[in-house]
Amino acid sequence: MKVKAKLKKGIIKAKVLFKHDMLTYNQAEKKGVKANFITHIQGKINGTVVYDGSTSQFLSKNPIVKFKIKGDEFKKGDKLEMSWVDLAGNTKSKKAKIK
Amino acid sequence: MERRKFLSLAVGALALAVTPAAVRAEDFRKMKPKVWKAHKVDDAITAMYGTTAATKSGVTVTTPDVAANGGAVPVNVKSDISAKTVSIFQDANPEAAVIVFECNKYTIIDFDINIKMGASGTITCIVEGHDGKLYSGTRTLEVAAGGCEG
Repeated sequence: MKVKAKLKKGIIKAKVLFKHDMLTYNQAEKKGVKANFITHIQGKINGTVVYDGSTSQFLSKNPIVKFKIKGDEFKKGDKLEMSWVDLAGNTKSKKAKIK
Repeated sequence: MERRKFLSLAVGALALAVTPAAVRAEDFRKMKPKVWKAHKVDDAITAMYGTTAATKSGVTVTTPDVAANGGAVPVNVKSDISAKTVSIFQDANPEAAVIVFECNKYTIIDFDINIKMGASGTITCIVEGHDGKLYSGTRTLEVAAGGCEG
């Protein structure tokens, strides 16, 4: 997972690349494996949730998401922690400093 | 079957009633499983929000006119509406729901995601306002090579 976050003029812009095959049911059937894709993504700064999404099998492989949040309560140096859960129950998370 | 349906409706209603203010969107996959199984966009919207009645303004969906690669179509949704949730659906895949964001006081509705689209189609974004109303924006685009086949 790659996480980048910048704070400028009170707005934090984040860009996250998740490494995940995001296998749809169709794709998995063809490969003879179980479908597995990220089902929930969450972003937290200092423990506060700032990004939260439930997802389907239709995000791209190795999906990239970008989002903006109001950054008044946060400052450069704070850490953005991005995490995901997938259909099989695997989880992964990564922290990055807000620049 | 009917009793089960009624029970699950009742449980769902109860769960909603008890829900604290900060609901984690993960719950949406568990609380509203029908949203993720719905094939048609309207069915998915109804499963999520109970209705498809939405004001067709205030939400902008941006994508390229033609997506060269159906496996990674960049989609941006923007809105200034004070919202509880933002959902994105499309009609080019086996199921209609793509993603449901839970919004809070930090959220600026300016989301970028990249999605798979099996064919050319229309993306619909619903913004659930704090005023209890739904707002929608759509964007139709062509996909050169379908993205669901791997």
